[in-house]
Amino acid sequence: MKTIFASIALIGAFATAPEDARWRKITAPIELAFPRDHGSHEDCRTEWWYATGIVADVDDGARFGWQLTIFRRGLQFGPPAFGDPALAPRQVFAGHLAVVDLTTGTLVTAERVRRAFQGLAYASTSRLDVVLEGWKFALDADDTLRVRALDRTNDLSLDLVLAPEKALVLQGNGGVSTKGPEYGNSSGYVSWTRMRTSGTIERSGVKRRVEGESWFDHEWGSSQLAADVVGWDWFGLRLDDGRELMIYRLRRTDGGVLEASSGTLVGVDGSAQHIRSADFALVDTNTWKSSRSGAQYPARFSLKVPTLGIDVVIETEIPDCEIDARASTGTIYWEGPVKVRGSVGGSGYGELTGYAAPMTGKL
Amino acid sequence: MIQSALFTRPVAKHPVRFLATVLGIAAGVASVVSTLGASSAALSSLREGVGLLSGRAALEVTAAGGVPESELTRLAPLALDALLLPVVEDVAKCTTLSDTVRVFGVDLLTDPRFAADSATIATAPPIEELLSTPSAIVSDEFARDARVGVGDSIHLTIMAKPISLRVAAIFPAGPSAVLGRLVVVDVSVAQRFFGRDGNLSRIELVPRGSVSSTALSERARELVSRGMQVGRPTDRAEESETLVRSLEFNLATMSGISLLVGGVLVATTLATSVVQRRRTIALLYALGASRGQVVRVIFAEALFLGVFGGILGVALGYVSSRFMVDGMRATLSTLVSTTAPTAISFDETHAWLGIALGVVVSLAAAVLPVLEGARTPPIQALRGETPRFLSARALALALSIATLLALVAYVLFLQPAWYGLPIAALAGALVLLAALLALYGPLVDGLGRFAGVRFSVPAVVRLACAGLSAGRRRAAWAAGAVGVAVALSIAIATMVGSFRGTVVDWVERSIHPDLAVRGVRGKTGVPVGGVDREVAAIVSATPGVVDTYPYFVSSARFGDERIGFGGVSFEAVRKRGWSAMLDGSDSSVAIERAWKSGGVLVSEAGAHRFGWKVGDQIAIDVRGQQFERAIEGVYMDHSESRGFVLADAGDFERLVPDADPLFVELNCRTPADIEPVRSALRAAFAGRFEVEINDMPTMRASILSVFDRTFEITRALQIVSAIVAIIAVLSVLFALVSERRADIALLSAIGMSSLEVHALVAVQAGLLGVLGAGFGSACGLVIGYVLVTVVNLQSFGWTIAFDAPWIAIASLVGFVAAACTLAGTLPARAAAQRSMRDALREDG
Repeated sequence: MKTIFASIALIGAFATAPEDARWRKITAPIELAFPRDHGSHEDCRTEWWYATGIVADVDDGARFGWQLTIFRRGLQFGPPAFGDPALAPRQVFAGHLAVVDLTTGTLVTAERVRRAFQGLAYASTSRLDVVLEGWKFALDADDTLRVRALDRTNDLSLDLVLAPEKALVLQGNGGVSTKGPEYGNSSGYVSWTRMRTSGTIERSGVKRRVEGESWFDHEWGSSQLAADVVGWDWFGLRLDDGRELMIYRLRRTDGGVLEASSGTLVGVDGSAQHIRSADFALVDTNTWKSSRSGAQYPARFSLKVPTLGIDVVIETEIPDCEIDARASTGTIYWEGPVKVRGSVGGSGYGELTGYAAPMTGKL
Repeated sequence: MIQSALFTRPVAKHPVRFLATVLGIAAGVASVVSTLGASSAALSSLREGVGLLSGRAALEVTAAGGVPESELTRLAPLALDALLLPVVEDVAKCTTLSDTVRVFGVDLLTDPRFAADSATIATAPPIEELLSTPSAIVSDEFARDARVGVGDSIHLTIMAKPISLRVAAIFPAGPSAVLGRLVVVDVSVAQRFFGRDGNLSRIELVPRGSVSSTALSERARELVSRGMQVGRPTDRAEESETLVRSLEFNLATMSGISLLVGGVLVATTLATSVVQRRRTIALLYALGASRGQVVRVIFAEALFLGVFGGILGVALGYVSSRFMVDGMRATLSTLVSTTAPTAISFDETHAWLGIALGVVVSLAAAVLPVLEGARTPPIQALRGETPRFLSARALALALSIATLLALVAYVLFLQPAWYGLPIAALAGALVLLAALLALYGPLVDGLGRFAGVRFSVPAVVRLACAGLSAGRRRAAWAAGAVGVAVALSIAIATMVGSFRGTVVDWVERSIHPDLAVRGVRGKTGVPVGGVDREVAAIVSATPGVVDTYPYFVSSARFGDERIGFGGVSFEAVRKRGWSAMLDGSDSSVAIERAWKSGGVLVSEAGAHRFGWKVGDQIAIDVRGQQFERAIEGVYMDHSESRGFVLADAGDFERLVPDADPLFVELNCRTPADIEPVRSALRAAFAGRFEVEINDMPTMRASILSVFDRTFEITRALQIVSAIVAIIAVLSVLFALVSERRADIALLSAIGMSSLEVHALVAVQAGLLGVLGAGFGSACGLVIGYVLVTVVNLQSFGWTIAFDAPWIAIASLVGFVAAACTLAGTLPARAAAQRSMRDALREDG
């Protein structure tokens, strides 16, 4: 059956469409209140809840990197009109799940997509409670985050509890992260940069009790990437000295870097220090080519932040962490664990987009 | 030599007769093959539709009247184990194609049937655009036929509303007829177009990974609301197939009758050929040919006729099934709402079956001629052969066989339906025909005895009787052939006449409105879907309209059976009455009673199927809601056979709030208002709704025209039967004239004039015709009675008033007798022209 319809391209949920001016633009300053702002911002067009981590089997020490992201995309602004079918696509949710075995170097991924519908795909507007076909982010009363996902097709499941070790970080300017020079080309962005993690991971029928550290982001906004941006390279790093570093560069079509590129250094005490594009240099020094998509991704970066005394090399732990998410968000990108060495050691996750196809006009 | 003497030469000598026989078999085989072809196309359309469109779904949640979309939420705990796919499926008229199309509403985001591949992702239409603007995905076949491409518009009529959809993508349909006429839209768009607010046709469950469908099914059953069915997609197909199979059986039976007529034709031809070649056969015996050799040649001729007739019949059947399929679609669309167009493909099994049928019927028909051939004495004995009456023992045996067969037929007529089909009753009809055939020997024998009675009967009549009696077996054959043909013709006339009379009466007593507004018709003449609620509002607000009656239809479950469920305002309808009541009472009274007590009316088919009676409480399930009411009346409805419960519109709309009317009837203030109201409605609907506005005479004429069209085939069968009867009589008379030529010569020698010879043969022909037609009519009348009171009731659950077509019977008997007498002039001329001297010399 699938082959009959194989030539119909329908997915591309995040492809561009004429904008409705009523979608809220994020501008600084922003007033944030929690737990409400952990929930969905339905007046914004795009939103995602993203968690990554590196965990190890408590018994044999086998290490795993994992990622779960649930995206929300508003298709129609405002509440439904009287008589609108409940199945009318007002919001779409998409999800990406990936677990990489750092011992064997194998990556397993899964994806989901579904329009908002009670019980099946929804995000609370008052607290962190996001569900997509059984995949789940839920913040308990004690501020621990439960992350659950299961994919029967690939025998893959996560059931983790993430406990923040530091206060919530407001990224960018008080929680407003700029993505471009245009007015409102920003997003609300908050993170828990270091979360003690425990629970189980199951792959190929083997369930493992694991422990480790994770990172959680929540970002929302209504802007798109500027027309001359082809993609971004993003890192969330937990440094060995107890600090965390989030840094990204927005790559222009001419090979340059957009001025809106930035970062945040989170101190041991949880204090956040904004890093502007002029303050750092992120340069790729090695590449890896995907045999599936043909895309050539950076495999090693040099990161220098002179004002903070950071001079490190960021290197992918497993080169092949390419995620083909065309059936949900219409994208192919790289997302995987990285290690840090140099002036300070560390580990974390990296996200490299726009190498298989330009991300212009997308998220 | 035997082959040449008995087969090749006669065929060369009488090619027209041979061709007519081949055509007779071919016609029978063709009607069976075309019926099977058309119904199997419909069945495969159903199966293919279910199979292709259910994709990888192992399970589905369905409910009579549709599945509330809230069931998706109830099933959400299964989301990790199964992909949950909401589906709306219905039919619409595509004005671009002037044909009905299947509209398939799915979740375009989630449905794996619509997954994109890497090669085309770049050209994907933005999903927002696809979901927010009325867009459709069509097959390449559809696009070719409608001459549309991506970005063009296609036009549909749904619920009488003209809808334009932009073609967003085109997919390859492959060889599938189902996909060729498929319009795919988003599920929410389909809900909006078909007025299914919050309602789905079904929810499909595709297991993820290695999840067992058994376990999934058990969990789904625990989660869904009461009234929801969790089953395999094939269950749905099977449910529809049962309806189609019943239709197929009835059509195949009708076709079988024409094959039987073909068989009679073969038997007549073979019997005639044996009779006409008695002397040749006798000579062959005298020359040393064995009976086995002669028998083999006769069977070979039958085989030849069967194979040729079968092959020709298969070809004709294949061609005619292409025309028949439209009729099947029309009927099926009333049985299975989402039956879409289908295509006929050549089925090898049907081809072999057709040829086998032709051969079997021909060989079976050859049995008696073979016996005749085997009994023929050698030429020496032939000369001394003298006519003999049946012995008392043989007469008693023949009459006993006829009586026994009639009794067996009677017992079979009393049997209930087997597997829901009137198999026993139809078998009884065949046995009764056999009894009729067995009776003709004694009857012809009786004619001979009558000739010997010293009454003042004209000599020519006595001579004719004696002549027929002398060739008793041949004459009995001819009379039997006429009898069977006439019996079948009368049976069909009785059934159709009774049915038509009942329908006319039902229509007269049931159709009361001044005007009815309903959706446009598809290619097959069947209205496609209902009308938007706004249509009823417009009708109601039109000056001159005093009463508006929107009529709603959905489905429900009675136990495990799917039935029809409808609603109409009892308060409004009680003033003008409803469909004719089964007990003949005034429907207004029953409606009034139902309105006051909150009861319901039920259809006659339901009463027969489930034993519903007035005064009983009936509990049905509508969309998971239990609905229990008292039955206040049983009404006649010849448009449905599943069983139907008619409730007050208030109850109906509470249970099925999103239903749109199937049609809207209205009454005007005065008859003079009818035309102005019609004009006002036309103006109000112009450009907004595509509807038909029919007045009472048009509605009645339309119903009867559909009826007549449905039974057109029976007229053809009657004509074929009459032709068979005439051919049989002609063949036998030629044989008898040839056989009795010495007698005729002798009569001429002793002074019988040519006119008297003509009269003698004509009387023989007339006698055969009267004998055949008279007893055939009686037998046909009995079979007709069984068709009306047993077969019809067991097939459809409708009561039809038996109406003996006396005029038709009298006309047919008169026609057959006259035609036979007239046809007798040909052999009479042959007899009169024969040289008396040669005949006498030849006879020694």
